[in-house]
Amino acid sequence: MALIRLIAYSIAELGNALCFLGDIVRNVLRGRIRKGEVLRQMYEQGVQSVTIIVLTSFATGAVLAIQGAVTLTRFGAKEYIAQLVAWSLVREMSPVFTAIIFSAKAGARITAELGTMNVNDQMLATRSLGVDPIEYLIVPRMIACFLVLPILTVISEVVGIAGGYLVGVFEAHIPSAFYINQTLRAIRYVDFFSGFSKVFFFAVLISWICCYQGFVTRGGSLGVGKFTTKAVAYSIIIVILSNTILTKIIITFWG
Amino acid sequence: MIRVEHLTKSFNGQVVLDDIDFEVQEGEILVILGGSGTGKSVLLKSMIGLVKPDSGKIWIDGDEITQLAEKELLKIRKEIGYLFQEGALYDFMNVFENIAFPLAEHTDLDKQAIESKVKNILEVVDLEGVERKYPSELSGGMKKRVGLARSIILGSKILFCDEPTSGLDPIRSRDISDLIKNISKKLRCTTVITSHDIRNALRVADRAALIRGGKIVAMGTQAQMEASSDTFVRAFIQ
Ligand SMILES: Nc1ncnc2c1ncn2[C@@H]1O[C@H](COP(=O)(O)OP(=O)(O)O)[C@@H](O)[C@H]1O
Ligand SMILES: [Mg+2]
Repeated sequence: MALIRLIAYSIAELGNALCFLGDIVRNVLRGRIRKGEVLRQMYEQGVQSVTIIVLTSFATGAVLAIQGAVTLTRFGAKEYIAQLVAWSLVREMSPVFTAIIFSAKAGARITAELGTMNVNDQMLATRSLGVDPIEYLIVPRMIACFLVLPILTVISEVVGIAGGYLVGVFEAHIPSAFYINQTLRAIRYVDFFSGFSKVFFFAVLISWICCYQGFVTRGGSLGVGKFTTKAVAYSIIIVILSNTILTKIIITFWG
Repeated sequence: MIRVEHLTKSFNGQVVLDDIDFEVQEGEILVILGGSGTGKSVLLKSMIGLVKPDSGKIWIDGDEITQLAEKELLKIRKEIGYLFQEGALYDFMNVFENIAFPLAEHTDLDKQAIESKVKNILEVVDLEGVERKYPSELSGGMKKRVGLARSIILGSKILFCDEPTSGLDPIRSRDISDLIKNISKKLRCTTVITSHDIRNALRVADRAALIRGGKIVAMGTQAQMEASSDTFVRAFIQ
């Protein structure tokens, strides 16, 4: 009985969330995009996440190279460290890690901000002033996310490769020019885009979830906390699960 | 003119508004009185389409708003000033930006014109020199004044105020009540105020209505309310 109720509730929620997304898409298609607001949101979301993304990416690139040095040496294939680092980062690690960190930072902020506006009647006040909150508050956040997450991903890839480079050159004693050359040869068009194209899906999913949870937040400051944690948890789970499916699809059709 | 006909609203089976019927004349100030949780906010929100009633009709200057889509409601709301209980100011904007927001959204005024309008309205609500402050730096009474300024800056002909005196001390309650009355009379606004504060309500109201158990149990001028023989009305007034 409880299970049936949970399923019914989930279907109803999904329906509401889809209507919400429909409203957003309609606004975007009609060109109701506030460029100033988008830029402001891009700045806030980007600045908020960039430091932690740089730190974690650097560490990830470095650890890939450390592990690569150990494992590849066993096969006598130490010179492939550069490829291992570049492929891992570009195809999987950077898109997924960046999306997860972005969910926890920018996503949480979006839900908490919108949720607070909801419980303080600012959302209703917007409507009372003759302004559509979807157009004014939601669309700019969605679009900013769609533009910022790819940029952050590229930053993460570059910094991660730099981390791998330092380990490769100074720990594993691979000649610098050779390492750079190997890296540049390793990343082909498909490698880059098979990872990069996933980021746009993640951006839509994260911003949709976080905006929606903020938009339906109820129940005062307790509610803001509850809906924000829910939004972050959903975002991270959806990123990880959808990544598996997207990866399978991309590899099947593309390589 | 505003007319509410047979308005009914319940939440999860609990009836909050039960067949509410009343009219507000052009330029009149009507105060809706009632204890907390009696549905005053729900009633006022229904009157600008922020809450969809279960049944009944609401006429605002010839438009029946319960049948309108959100897009049309957004247009109608530009003509209506609505003061929320806690002011509902944008906390990412300072006072100036909050008050200028409706002008920036709905008019073609240039920067200077907007600045002078905001300055004027701040004088009207008796708040000067707070333009650069953020809502978190304001007292409850100041927030309500800024909210009032923002709600009337487009020159609305209708003004709704939800519990303008709640959370304020007696002197500030009286001041803001008088302020709303003065503004309403000066702009010739049709005004509806909700309140549980009988003393200030009767100071400013042309007529008052008392709401209880989802129904309007008494309605009339100050004298009529005071002369009422209904025991509940008497108890509420004293
Ligand atoms: N969105 C809502 N969902 C469920 N119940 C609500 C909602 N809004 C108001 N209520 C209920 O309606 C009743 C009246 O609320 P309200 O109009 O805020 O009272 P007040 O007269 O204090 O303004 C309360 O019991 C409240 O719990
Ligand atoms: Mg109320």
